[in-house]
Amino acid sequence: MSKSLLKRFEWKDKLLALIVPLLVLVAWQSAVSLQLFSEMILVPPLTVMNTLVDLARTGDLTNNIISSLKRVLSGFLLGASTGFFLGLLMGLSSLLDRFVGPLIKACKQVPQFALMPLIILWFGIDEVSKVVFISIGAFFPMVFNTYQGVSGVPKKYRELARVFNYKSFRYLTKVILPGALPSIITGVRHSLGLSWMFVVGAELFGSESGVGYMMVWARQLFQIDIVMAGLFVIGIIGFTMNIILQIIEKRVLRWRVSFDGRMA
Amino acid sequence: MLVSITLPVRLILFWQLITSTGYVSPHILPLPKNVIKIFLSLFSEERLMLHIVISLRRVMSGFLIGIAAGFSFGLLIGLSRTGEKIFAPFFHALRQVPMIGWIPLIVMWFGMSELPRILVIAISAFYPMALNTFTGVRNVPSEYIELASVYGYKRLKLIRRVIIPAALPSIITGITLSLGMSWVILVAAELLIETPVGIGRLISNGRETCNMEQVLVGIITVALLGFIMTMMIEKLAKVVERGRSIHQEL
Repeated sequence: MSKSLLKRFEWKDKLLALIVPLLVLVAWQSAVSLQLFSEMILVPPLTVMNTLVDLARTGDLTNNIISSLKRVLSGFLLGASTGFFLGLLMGLSSLLDRFVGPLIKACKQVPQFALMPLIILWFGIDEVSKVVFISIGAFFPMVFNTYQGVSGVPKKYRELARVFNYKSFRYLTKVILPGALPSIITGVRHSLGLSWMFVVGAELFGSESGVGYMMVWARQLFQIDIVMAGLFVIGIIGFTMNIILQIIEKRVLRWRVSFDGRMA
Repeated sequence: MLVSITLPVRLILFWQLITSTGYVSPHILPLPKNVIKIFLSLFSEERLMLHIVISLRRVMSGFLIGIAAGFSFGLLIGLSRTGEKIFAPFFHALRQVPMIGWIPLIVMWFGMSELPRILVIAISAFYPMALNTFTGVRNVPSEYIELASVYGYKRLKLIRRVIIPAALPSIITGITLSLGMSWVILVAAELLIETPVGIGRLISNGRETCNMEQVLVGIITVALLGFIMTMMIEKLAKVVERGRSIHQEL
């Protein structure tokens, strides 16, 4: 009985969650039908859907998504791996931490978008500057979270590893990394989220391909349906990335809980 | 402590070292003294001050609108379970869209004016504030609520006297995060929504004229201002926190 009760509540919750999106759609459609705004400002929801389908059919959308994803992946890998290694080293060596830590914190004070013009001056306006820009966005959450995770590994684990005379590689892979993993995964999630925002920013700033470019180009041609479709696409991709990493995070945490259980 | 104090000094020394040896071309990284010279000349012409004032006004208006809206929304979905069920899913879905992505749409709606810049900053300040207010409200220990109902607190008094004070640390975290976000988005908004004044304009002017010194002056100014404001908020948070703990002891 309690199970069916639970189910009914879930149904009710899902219906409640639909209220706002439906209201927005109704308001949107009626604003269009009543011609409150010009066609330049607001197009019907269905037109946006059709545009999306059209863009997908001609292959424009897929190409732009692929070039954005390529950028985000290379920038993320570059930035997150650098952040990971630096965070790991800082967590392991207090000397490096004291030397580099304040420097990184000081650099974090710079709003990263302010670096865009600098990066363009240094690396030109092509692909490299975008990847570098994205990697800067990916770097900071990764370095801080890895550092926090590594320095947060309980001292008794470290001591135990020393008692068992673990060699450095084994110490790293069996004690430090598993202990720091939840924090590292959080770092990866934030880092990927920021990479996604930065790729859109970089493409709005100036580019010849990508979802951000598609939106800028559509804005200049006053094609608001494409701008809205683009917004929808970047939202969906950001959402998907987040969901995938949340699933991974859950897996990792489940493993950790069972591991702790055995230790106790 | 000593290490962190000497950091700027070491940084400038290092900078001086690599530039003065000619190891790095001045087009890539100019000499510190040239950057200081440009900074002083911009400062004395009062142009820098104008950029700073305009940018500060933008960031403050956006930030204040954003946190006010975020606080109200967070409180609403925090206090009411039905409210949460109705609004939270849509809120979380919208949150997935990177803030920068809103810029083209907002520009189409409002044109290249002051409003879209402030609006983008407000949206970016809204999310962390709403989330942190919500978690703060939801983490108020239920004993507090029970005690308050024993004393016969009415709803408004309960919110004002119990829930908000207990949620304050989380709310302050929200304010700090929102402020940080506002600064990041300010520069993006100034670069992407063209404007004649503002620190972002100063930076992109520097880029267009290949004036590396000016680019660096802009970046350092933004960083310093953001740093000062974060420090101020943290100080304020400490004062509030101290007041709260004294209040609790009484």
